[in-house]
Amino acid sequence: MTTHLYACVHAEEFPAQALLRLRTDLAVQPVVVLDGRPPLQTVCSLNRPARLKGAALGMTRLEAETIPGLHILARSEETEAAARAVLLECAAHFSPRLESVDESTACACILDITGTERLFGPPHTLAERLRDALASAGLRAAVSVSTNFHTARMKAATTRGITVIPPGHEAVALAKLPLDALALEEDPYETFAIWGIRTLADLAALPESDLVARLGPQAVAWRNLARGALPHTFQPIEPAFTLREFCAFETPVEQIDSLLFIGARMIDCLATRAGARALSLASLLVEMQLEGNRAYQRTIRPALATTDRKFLLKLLQLEIAAHPPQSAVLSLTLSAQAGQSSKVQLGLFAPQTPEPSRLDVTIARLKAIAGEDRVGSPVLEDTHRPGAFRMESFAVANQSSAYKPVEIAPARPRMALRRIRPPANVRVQLNARKPISFRDREQTYKVAAAYGPWRTSGCWWSTEPWDTEEWDVLAESSPGSSLACLLVHNRSQNQWQLEAIYD
Amino acid sequence: MLSEEKANTAMPSAAAALRLQIEHSLERRFPAALTPVPRTIRETAPIGIAAVDRLLEGGFPIGAISEVTGPMSSGRTSLALAFLAARTQEDRVCAWVDAHDAFDSESAAANGVALRQLLWVRCKAPNPAAKPWARLDQALSATDLLLQASGFAAIVLDLASTAPEHGCRIPLATWFRFRQAADRTRCSLLVLAEQPLAQSNAAVVLECTRQDCASQSEESPSQTVLTGFTYQVRSGRQRFAPYLSGQRKPPASTWSATSASQREACA
Repeated sequence: MTTHLYACVHAEEFPAQALLRLRTDLAVQPVVVLDGRPPLQTVCSLNRPARLKGAALGMTRLEAETIPGLHILARSEETEAAARAVLLECAAHFSPRLESVDESTACACILDITGTERLFGPPHTLAERLRDALASAGLRAAVSVSTNFHTARMKAATTRGITVIPPGHEAVALAKLPLDALALEEDPYETFAIWGIRTLADLAALPESDLVARLGPQAVAWRNLARGALPHTFQPIEPAFTLREFCAFETPVEQIDSLLFIGARMIDCLATRAGARALSLASLLVEMQLEGNRAYQRTIRPALATTDRKFLLKLLQLEIAAHPPQSAVLSLTLSAQAGQSSKVQLGLFAPQTPEPSRLDVTIARLKAIAGEDRVGSPVLEDTHRPGAFRMESFAVANQSSAYKPVEIAPARPRMALRRIRPPANVRVQLNARKPISFRDREQTYKVAAAYGPWRTSGCWWSTEPWDTEEWDVLAESSPGSSLACLLVHNRSQNQWQLEAIYD
Repeated sequence: MLSEEKANTAMPSAAAALRLQIEHSLERRFPAALTPVPRTIRETAPIGIAAVDRLLEGGFPIGAISEVTGPMSSGRTSLALAFLAARTQEDRVCAWVDAHDAFDSESAAANGVALRQLLWVRCKAPNPAAKPWARLDQALSATDLLLQASGFAAIVLDLASTAPEHGCRIPLATWFRFRQAADRTRCSLLVLAEQPLAQSNAAVVLECTRQDCASQSEESPSQTVLTGFTYQVRSGRQRFAPYLSGQRKPPASTWSATSASQREACA
């Protein structure tokens, strides 16, 4: 028969821990968390410095505010959910069989670590590694290991640090614990108090038949719990792998630097979690709740999935700088989409191309300088409209991609145009329907030769039709200085424009 | 006769011996005086226009600043596009920093530029009344970023529509920084301008002029289609070229560009 081994992770004061996980600046400050509706808010969780300052559970807001230097935060269920997901994910690295045993303000789960000795070493080593993994994720938890499920749970809930209970010593390990450790839904505690039963050892020492005769059949289970002998059918859960971090601010944040301070920590956590599964972050969705019940949403998509924290933080900074929130930020959510870690096989003779991650940052910076839609690759539109193109985001094509359209270079160089955007309106003098001179805002040009007209029209069925007459013109403003340009006569509006210059 | 022939063969050997003796005696005092000037052989990238490639002995230098100058309609943009076409067809990535948003993607595609491998930065004035420095400043900042990013085979800084009095106010330190960055990243930085701007930082300066219009001279006056231009390119400066003492005029060559539109076919 296989002897099961369980490890219980118990993170007490979880509302406070969840809020402080991303707020490293408050980690050593006294912090209390209030729960409930104003004005009936009471302290539901607090950290150790706050306890030393005199704060206690159940205090009202007014009482908490009288303690100098105390930081008062509001409870956030979203933050707790995100932190709980992190805790379960850390635990899942050590065993795929997890069962959640959450209590009121504590987050706890029990791992079935049977047969993991070869992977992680003896139970004490596993417990240390588990605790370190949680600490690196910003969570502080007690870990208890026992062959009995309930013993591990009760011991972790009532002690700090790491406890490994040898097989057969469950009753001894639980002996000194108070009766509250049973965490029973019924309330036999008053009866036990009348009988003078204070600890689990006292309860375990009571004769079973007498106990059942007085308290009913459920007393057997209580007695077995106190002896560390109550069996349990493990009900494993499968935590969903979601890369999401949430942080609500106690006061609206207006400065980008403050946002980035939290964002850096969030990215760090997301990258660590993705990296633990040999994955990378393919995209980051930035959501903010703004004052005035407004929402802010941007997506950051690096060219290659990555876990480079500095690079992702730089992209976040540039994105927020390019699109700053319109009002103060109440909460920040970062959700990431996991992707396969990028592996690029470079060819020995392949030409040098920009490094994708570096290029992403460069393009983001260029967009901040020139504008969002003014940096990219031009793509010709499938139309006869002169000068039609659209901008697409620039990405370095993979050298090994199967299909690449081949650009055919002309045998001789072609005349290139330099567009004037927007086209300059000109006044044109005609002779026999041919331009003989034109004037823009600055000077008059005498037409030496005019080639045309070249008439085009299209899209007459749409809201943006065109009907133009083009003239290639060789013009002179003064002797010796000539210009070859493209004059366009908009026939529908009867307007002449200098659209481009040959160069 | 025999003695005369002996005397003739003896004369050069005597002269050579005398020269060797003089060189030995002076080589410690004047080490560089009698040795040939070392020539820097710079790697070049062909432009794709045979006449200009011959003029530049291979093309534009890699890792250096090249300037293509001249007035409007002198073929600067066509030359730059031909160069980009040659570079992008080698699967290299290029960038066009457009100070005045004048780049025509149709012309680029007609010249064979692989547009998907071209990063186009379209500078804009913050407002219509903004000073011209705003665009210039954007273009220089963008070029700086692209050079620092590395990996671009060629970057075209298009200041062709910038007035020379504005362009010449770009600090020399900026060009020096660009030159250093281009050298470090092996990027050919091509500057299109009306007049040379980079001064001593430019490895090559080409002066372009328009010579002729194809349909004017070759075809009938009633011709309604402009089919091409002939341009002249003069080498204003070539830092890495050997100095030729007998050369009085800078070398020049001509090349022609044809129409890119459907009109040529109709003509």
